[in-house]
Amino acid sequence: MWAPSASERICERRNPALPARAGVGFKDAHFTAIEESAPAVGFFEVHAENFMGAGGPPHARLTRLRRDYPLSIHGVGLSIGGAQALDRAHLGRVKSLVERYEPAVFSEHLAWSTRATSFLNDLLPLPYNETTLKRVVAHVDEVQEALGRRILLENPATYLRFESSIYSEIDFLGEVVHRTGCGLLLDVNNTYVCAVNHGFVAEDYIDAFQMRQVEEIHLAGYAEDMDEVRGRLRIDAHCAPVSVAVWRLYERALSRRGSVATLIEWDNDVPAWPILMAEAMRAENLLERRRLPGDDDLRSEAPHGAVA
Amino acid sequence: MAPSPEFDQEEFVRALLDPDLPPPAGLKATHDLPPLRRFAVYRNNVVVGLIDALAERFPVCLRLVGEEFFRAMALRHVRRSLPRTPLLFEYGEDFAEFVAGFEPARSLPYLPDVASLEYAMGRACHAVDATPLPLDLVRSLPLERLEAATASFHPSTQVVPSDYPIVSIWRANMATDPPRSLTLDHAEDALVVRPRLDVEAHALPSGGSAFIETLMGGGAFGEAASAASRRAKDFDLTANLRMLLASEALTAINI
Amino acid sequence: MFEKKLGSAFMIAGAFAAALASVETAKAENADQEKCYGVALKGKNDCAAGPGTTCAGSASKNYQGSAWKYVAKGTCTAIVTPKGKGSLEPIAN
Repeated sequence: MWAPSASERICERRNPALPARAGVGFKDAHFTAIEESAPAVGFFEVHAENFMGAGGPPHARLTRLRRDYPLSIHGVGLSIGGAQALDRAHLGRVKSLVERYEPAVFSEHLAWSTRATSFLNDLLPLPYNETTLKRVVAHVDEVQEALGRRILLENPATYLRFESSIYSEIDFLGEVVHRTGCGLLLDVNNTYVCAVNHGFVAEDYIDAFQMRQVEEIHLAGYAEDMDEVRGRLRIDAHCAPVSVAVWRLYERALSRRGSVATLIEWDNDVPAWPILMAEAMRAENLLERRRLPGDDDLRSEAPHGAVA
Repeated sequence: MAPSPEFDQEEFVRALLDPDLPPPAGLKATHDLPPLRRFAVYRNNVVVGLIDALAERFPVCLRLVGEEFFRAMALRHVRRSLPRTPLLFEYGEDFAEFVAGFEPARSLPYLPDVASLEYAMGRACHAVDATPLPLDLVRSLPLERLEAATASFHPSTQVVPSDYPIVSIWRANMATDPPRSLTLDHAEDALVVRPRLDVEAHALPSGGSAFIETLMGGGAFGEAASAASRRAKDFDLTANLRMLLASEALTAINI
Repeated sequence: MFEKKLGSAFMIAGAFAAALASVETAKAENADQEKCYGVALKGKNDCAAGPGTTCAGSASKNYQGSAWKYVAKGTCTAIVTPKGKGSLEPIAN
């Protein structure tokens, strides 16, 4: 069911991509350090919803960042995986923001966060079946039409799955990409967290992911917990350095994708700027290695649907 | 095989917010027990995230009552009143009202007003930008016509009335050093304004809230002065005009 | 009526002139400081944007709230009302 006109038009109008470099999730607390040291960061990413006020310091800071760095805007409030219609007022706010700052990328999540008029401030899970696929496709179409650009959809961190799922996550994302022409944001930490939480092999997920459509990668640290049978639970808390296991998975992803814009996300227990910068430099070094001549991008596109 | 139950977001949300309810049907873990701990991750994410948001929005209230009390109070508010938009910086609009009705905090009668002040400061932060009226322009005004003139205010301007010295309380608790003892023997109405990038809170002189509210309602300076002197016997016009100019709350005086 | 109005206009003009002079003096005296007007409060984070959204989960656990919270660890005890120091009541779950 290839939906031709809208998505094809949108694909033709791709915005200039983010540089294939390491970027950092922007935190207010780091603004002064960034201003003073003008760090060699590939790009900054911000949450759309934090810049939807009318004026004041947030816009002053973002304007300054946008002047000096490529920008990625990451939405957390569109509730693309939700059962209800998209909030048009909110979509309008996203559109204004994207028009104002013209980011290289706008991305959102395969998740939901709104019920009626209440915002739950978490990325909640959805079953992967025909019903939810139709909704997600319709919502992604609507966002892309409103913004007049291709968006990226991120694989979520989940702690539970649904009996009513009939697709693997990778197949579900693949269908959404196929029907809407959207791109993908591969969160490697989410992959790892899900692999532990649901008992699959993270490497298989990376090997099966549609790397051709990946235009950005996210890296973050997780927190550790246990479920009722003392099974390992990993929580996508963005509160720690990127783990060794996730760095390893990231290298595996890069070996398939080639170098691609990579974000360090650190949202809780935010460290001092130099620590965050060091994480970004570690990603930058891995990207640099991938940029060596002879290293082909996208060399192995594995068949989909092996896992998850 | 029985068909899988259709996913019900309403049921999911009800269970998220009420820890006494079982997790919704149709969920799967790697084991066959009810996935309480896994569902609790989502319960935590929602509730803790929103408590954190309130803690960030109301740092002085938090400091006044302490972390533990604040988080327990905020948890109750979160369950009653979720954000109405994904704009988290707007969250907490009705927190002051909630605090006013919160029995365990009733011995701190100033707490709701401090919450109102903090919320107003947050709103000021995100208000539309505007250029304050330059003093050079003020100097050239025909003063004799001021009585009939009206004022335009910076969009961030808000008055927060209180029977307690909320600006002094706020100031004493925004410092990192240990708080000094404060005696609540006077009232302070607060003027909140963000002329440029910094949000400021000023304690208004006597009659100041009536004066500024009349002006903000479109009344002329003469009218505002009369209203304020009716409200406060010790209304000092010079002190109030000084506050207006010094706070840079004005964007224009319309002669 | 005319006299009263005139008097009021004079009064406002005079008060305004005095206020303006006072603000300008304060501004001149503080010219070397970043902030020109002495009355402004400057808190440690008064230009913070307030709470932001997150796309991360929470590592801490607090969704139930424990049975009793009796806390006097805040600074409210440094505030004296005419009725004495305020003290917080226990929060029953």
